[in-house]
Amino acid sequence: MQTAGAALHAPDSLAVVARSLTVELGGKEALTDLSFELPTGSSVALLGPNGAGKTTLFRAAVGLVQPVSGSIEPGSGPVAFVPQRLELEPSFPATVRDVVRMGRYGELGWLGRFGERDRALVDGAIEELGIAALAERRFGDLSGGERQRALLAQATAQDARLLLLDEPFAGLDAPTNQALRDRIRRWRHEGRTIVVATHDLQSASRDYDLVICLNRRLVAIGPPAEACTEEVLGETFAGRVVRVGELLIDTAHHHHGAG
Amino acid sequence: MEWLTDPFGAEFVRTGALAAAIVGVLCGVVGCYVVMRGMALMADSLAHGVLPGVAIAFVLTAGAAGSEPDEAALWIGALAAGLLTALGTNLVIRRSRVREDTAAGVVFVFMLALGVAIASRIEGYSVDLTSFLFGDVLGVGGDEVLVSALLTVAVLALVALLYRPFLLISFDPQRAAALGLPVDRLHLAMLAIVTLAVVIGFRVVGALLVLGLLIAPAATAALLTKRLPTMMALSAAIAALAAPIGLLASWHLDVAAGPAIVLVAVLAFAAALLLRPAQS
Repeated sequence: MQTAGAALHAPDSLAVVARSLTVELGGKEALTDLSFELPTGSSVALLGPNGAGKTTLFRAAVGLVQPVSGSIEPGSGPVAFVPQRLELEPSFPATVRDVVRMGRYGELGWLGRFGERDRALVDGAIEELGIAALAERRFGDLSGGERQRALLAQATAQDARLLLLDEPFAGLDAPTNQALRDRIRRWRHEGRTIVVATHDLQSASRDYDLVICLNRRLVAIGPPAEACTEEVLGETFAGRVVRVGELLIDTAHHHHGAG
Repeated sequence: MEWLTDPFGAEFVRTGALAAAIVGVLCGVVGCYVVMRGMALMADSLAHGVLPGVAIAFVLTAGAAGSEPDEAALWIGALAAGLLTALGTNLVIRRSRVREDTAAGVVFVFMLALGVAIASRIEGYSVDLTSFLFGDVLGVGGDEVLVSALLTVAVLALVALLYRPFLLISFDPQRAAALGLPVDRLHLAMLAIVTLAVVIGFRVVGALLVLGLLIAPAATAALLTKRLPTMMALSAAIAALAAPIGLLASWHLDVAAGPAIVLVAVLAFAAALLLRPAQS
């Protein structure tokens, strides 16, 4: 998460600060010279085609990959990262409640006592994501949508200041999709910062405070009205965006773009 | 009732049963991580990895034909070779782009061949090789039981201490790393714990069969439970019970003790598969 000599956290008013961030994967540049700041309490759509480096940007932010130059620093407080895929043995020995409880382990450490506040956060998250009836079921027995709810409840229970969600809407059933939208809105109300990687142009231009257009380098960052112009999106998606009446459609991913 | 008690009239059978039950508790608990992380092949690689270390210790300390090898040297040789195998396999997996099962497979045949090659230098080698590969549960001494028991308590304490980090890295290494956990070092710690279980279990059921005690009870428990603490408890209970039941079977059917214990554990798995309640 930190490069040598740049160990300072971002100030409280900023949730993420990237300075000339360059990341290589397998010898090739995956992110080139990214600089931006995300104000605390904003909801941010991270927009870009497959291979644009959205996941890499998240991984760099939480320290899973080290930049070759530059830096990316989250602000103070815990960070929740919800990766896109979860590969798990179907018989993994954890109930839905166990999975949500894991959200507390970061703060509690190895042996910290599971206290009243932890229990309240876990129960609240389970209630809110509508999975109370599933709480004692084995996580591996759930459907895809139910799993995603459990993982969102885990992130909720984490009580993080910054949430990084990697393609959270991909393949969701309609009720879970709605639950996630509500949850993102509420996170923002609570003053948290949420960054959502997405292909969904409509949602990006409508539902978020800021849009980052990424294609290995920073194409644009700003409020949707500025960042979601036809020109910018054309550059971001390398000409694969077409205008159909009022709608901009990413032709490579229009099957994800509903809603 | 005599068929039940007769076999345990002899002290060496009682000692063997106790040693196997201790190993069962240890392998039953540690095996849960092997099963829930899909590391069976890695564990197999570790189990074979102890062979060259044991063989070298044997050759170095047994000296002239017929003299007994040094017990402590065998333990240390097994542990050192097992840890080297863990590190080696881990390195091959990270540095080469081969799949994990291929990497573990290559390392394990190398260690097996090396172990047998070195052991073939020992006079009367087929007898010693058999006990390396299939264990010698009825030849376990009282002081060995004590060492096994102490090491088992130490490993169980470690598992309790590392319960949360191990659960997190097993569930999702990416989330765990994002929480600031040293995922790589924890993974190595887990491999070291599996190695310890293998080394302790190897004396009883042998390098080829210790995997059975690691996997079968844990897999059985995985079928019947949905939480890690209950899975560990059930797995330990099954593996510990397999020891006296296996020895009974061994006595009455006149078959080798180590394989009999492992067969009981695997039969428990088969029974659970057939009898478990239908999935809701």
